[in-house]
Amino acid sequence: MIAGIVLLAGGAAAGVFGSLLGLGGGILIVPLLTLGFGLPLREAVAVSLVSVIVTSSASAGVYLEKHTANLRLGMVLELFSASGALVGGLIAFLLSEQVLAGLFAALLIWVAVSMVRRTEPAPATDAPAAADPLADASAAPTFTDSLAGPGYRVHALPLGMGGSVVAGLVSALLGVGGGIVKVPTMHLLMGVPLKVATATSNMMIGITATSSAVIYLLRGQIDPYIAGPTALGVFVGAMAGTRIAHRIDTRILRWLFVVVLLYTAVQMGQKALGL
Amino acid sequence: MRETAARLETLAARLLTWGTRVALSFVLVGVVGMLLTGVDPISAPMPAYSLAAIPGDLLALRPEGFLWAGLTLVVALPLGRVIVSGAGFLAAGDRRLALVSVLVLLVIGVSVVAALGLGG
Repeated sequence: MIAGIVLLAGGAAAGVFGSLLGLGGGILIVPLLTLGFGLPLREAVAVSLVSVIVTSSASAGVYLEKHTANLRLGMVLELFSASGALVGGLIAFLLSEQVLAGLFAALLIWVAVSMVRRTEPAPATDAPAAADPLADASAAPTFTDSLAGPGYRVHALPLGMGGSVVAGLVSALLGVGGGIVKVPTMHLLMGVPLKVATATSNMMIGITATSSAVIYLLRGQIDPYIAGPTALGVFVGAMAGTRIAHRIDTRILRWLFVVVLLYTAVQMGQKALGL
Repeated sequence: MRETAARLETLAARLLTWGTRVALSFVLVGVVGMLLTGVDPISAPMPAYSLAAIPGDLLALRPEGFLWAGLTLVVALPLGRVIVSGAGFLAAGDRRLALVSVLVLLVIGVSVVAALGLGG
């Protein structure tokens, strides 16, 4: 019984931190389950994917209702992220736990470094005459033009497709949403405003994670006794996080989190090296 | 077309919002049942996943039935969103996006076949 409550609380903590810092809960859930509960990494990834789908569905509902997410662009890119996740989900069963732990340690370091260097990028300045994503798409001269949104045009679609495949691979192998790849790809390479990129990435995460979660589910890697409380905790934590976000100074939190990420990376690195 | 697209986004949004609520309600009942029956999530043997067994488990009020029902719904929700969006794009005459929706579903279908084919 205590373990169930601890899983709920751990999931909630991951949800709160993830939501306050703009990260999915996956980056915290996998270490929590492997290092904290001794779960095999592959099972932890599977549980994390379920939690990631829950938070994605909940937040995508809000973003779509407010028309913040670009549904057309998201659907095109998620075809590629889902394909990457399909491949990743299959590769995950061929890789050893040590290799997965090493990859996860590298991801943690990457996220920590990104958080240290994080600055708000300037919005795309080459905004053409406002194109309405809900307007008549068939009137757009090219397919890429038909994916535009209000005040911005979509560039470098092939790069976005490539980035989405990578995001899908990362998601399936490591149990994260892949937003860490999708958001910069859309914002920096494709000229999508940060707010729209974040919302669209959130929406895409559901299908990306589902592609590989299905594989984990059907191959008996999702334990409902662990996935249930964890996913519930993450959802509650993420909801709480969005409510208290404006009251918290995230600068201090971010530095604290960087320390936690680096410490976890060391632990994962030791696991990878069999120490 | 603008109105159709806006309705489509709203419909997809409601599906995700309400679907998540229903799914998590099942999960919540399962978790409470799990805690009340003293199941230790770490040491208890993992119940096997069987879609066909879920209704029976639900009727028998077994926690794993509620957990599996909720988790299955969680995994199915994004698919529902793609189906709703694809149907909406088709109704709006946007065949390219409708085709994209079908291709996304096809990728998920390949995932299912691959998982089953590899010894599920």
